Amino acid sequence: MVALLTKINPQLLRILALLLVFLTVLLFFSLVVPNYLNGRLFNRISSSVAIMALIATGQTLVIITRNIDLSIGSIVGFVAFATGSIVTNNPDLGPVALVTYAMLLGAGFGAINGVIVAYLKVPSIIVTLATMALFRSVLVEYSNAKSITTSNLPDWLISFPNTVLWHFGNMQFRAAFVVAIVIVIVVHICLSRLRVARKLYVVGSNPEAAEMVGINSKLVVFVAFILAGSLAGLAGFLFLARFGTITVVAGLGLELKSVAASVVGGVNIFGGSGTVIGALIGAMLVDLIDMSLVRWQFVSEFWREAVLGILILLSVTADAVLMRKLTAIRQKRKGVSE
Amino acid sequence: MKSLKLLGLASALLMSSVSFGAADTITLESGKDINMVLLPKFLGILVFDQANDGAQEAHKELKNPGELLFVGPTPENSVAGQIEIMTTSATQGQGAVMLSNNAGDQIVPSAKAAQAAGTKIVTWDSPIPSGEGEDVFVAQVDFGSIGTVMADMAHSLLDGSGQMAVLSATPDASNQNAWIAAMKEALKGDKYAKIELVDVVYGNDQAEVSYNRALALVDKYPDLGVIMSPTTVGIQAAAKAMQDEGLCDQVKVSGLGLPAEMLSYTLNGCAPEFTLWDFRDLGYLTYYTAYGVASGQLKGEIGETFTAGRMGDYTIEEDPGRPGSKRILMGPFTIYNKDNVEAAAK
Repeated sequence: MVALLTKINPQLLRILALLLVFLTVLLFFSLVVPNYLNGRLFNRISSSVAIMALIATGQTLVIITRNIDLSIGSIVGFVAFATGSIVTNNPDLGPVALVTYAMLLGAGFGAINGVIVAYLKVPSIIVTLATMALFRSVLVEYSNAKSITTSNLPDWLISFPNTVLWHFGNMQFRAAFVVAIVIVIVVHICLSRLRVARKLYVVGSNPEAAEMVGINSKLVVFVAFILAGSLAGLAGFLFLARFGTITVVAGLGLELKSVAASVVGGVNIFGGSGTVIGALIGAMLVDLIDMSLVRWQFVSEFWREAVLGILILLSVTADAVLMRKLTAIRQKRKGVSE
Repeated sequence: MKSLKLLGLASALLMSSVSFGAADTITLESGKDINMVLLPKFLGILVFDQANDGAQEAHKELKNPGELLFVGPTPENSVAGQIEIMTTSATQGQGAVMLSNNAGDQIVPSAKAAQAAGTKIVTWDSPIPSGEGEDVFVAQVDFGSIGTVMADMAHSLLDGSGQMAVLSATPDASNQNAWIAAMKEALKGDKYAKIELVDVVYGNDQAEVSYNRALALVDKYPDLGVIMSPTTVGIQAAAKAMQDEGLCDQVKVSGLGLPAEMLSYTLNGCAPEFTLWDFRDLGYLTYYTAYGVASGQLKGEIGETFTAGRMGDYTIEEDPGRPGSKRILMGPFTIYNKDNVEAAAK
């Protein structure tokens, strides 16, 4: 067993550990909540996680480079509103045009963050804290106190996220979920296989060394923010399609949820390591806990946030302790074999 | 002789009270220069914009040469932002602040400071729970009767028996809490004996949170028949969630909604019945009240009656829900269903 553990790569090990935590949480709630484990639960989590998966993926790309994007929720909200408003006024616009519009708009916001962080050297936590408020205020102005309503959106857009592509029994694989999973997997493969994408890790783990080996670390950080922005844009599109009603509060709080998902998913907040698959599982775990707590009679409305916080803290701590133990074992065995 | 005296006294009293009442209907003099601030819970929500339309209409009608500002916090900063705007208004020497309170009693110190600086505080939509720091509250409807209306809608949707749950906005919105309390009170009546209120959850007036909470309610209570949402964001999100998951036959959504936003859900049976009042009128009446109080033409005392332009006469009375506080009751509200929703949505 221990021998096996030392052979698996640490990223994979982390994902396995997360899955273990996920199953434990699932098992726990199935004991305290009646009618818990069924196809419906899968449908709830999968539909709800589709949007967060994209946001957490974007957030992970930024965190890997030692930065953070706190404006991501405001970007999602703005794009959802702007896309809704353009399709309300031009109902003939097709899916390709709308998705392109959403992603370009998101990328534009990402570029603003990227320029200030990468080229003007202002710490990202400050820049994006400011742009979080800024983008939201621009939305308040832009919206003119109107809201986007479902009745003004084309039918294909509203029915898209819930279209069932295939199902096993009661478990439905819906379009939004499948799209999100495909994107997460593509990003994961790029990050682990593409030389260009590996630069994100290099810059994140040691910016000076990255410069010395000739990596343009400014450009890398800039691009990371643009990618995060365009993923947030796509998430904004899905957000619009799923909820239909968009007001100026759309996407409020998603920035912190995405950071939580990434960190729970094993992405190192100090940069340099982490996977988007991990972030996806992190997002699912946060969602699972959040949704299950609502159904658990024992926890009142006012305590739920606190309990969610404690569970997140526990899972992160458990993950950190477990990883340290395993790393120690590996080192030891390496020492023995040498 | 004695009885005649009494009769005379009584008739004198009667006459004086009649003439007293007539003389006391105050017609506000227009053209007073008063700067005023309309402060909503936060910016970007349609109903608050409608209230602003109404206030602007009254502003023009009363030919106030002063300024009417529509300022509010951004959504993520509602409580702190309201307190800040209140404080700023006091230092600017604004004549009146018209507040839809989202800060609970946390707003009290800044509101009191504003009053001390000579600014009148008129609340609308959502009052200051303790009534401190508030001159008068313009209530859209009687908070007790809205509880009865919600209980009645649940009663008709459930055919008299079944489970219902409430999807509210935020746990510290004082209007929401007052309505829920009033509904609980109404549900104690014999008529509603077979209706069980199983839960109250909060969607923070965010579509996504409300959507998920609505689904969680259905999962938590398999026999749930009605989701009652006294907020325009919540009712809509809940109706969409039920529609998306094909649950409309099983769970009906009701509460407070805007006809334009609820049209499709009313016609397809996901939300067959809901209610609301006119926010434009609410803004209009609030402006008249604030203008009257700030210009000194109204003292803000119980029993004062004044004419609010096109809306007619209103009287300041004690707020039955908040003893010691004063209110002006607007009323009434309309119940919307498939027969009248289309006309109202236009």
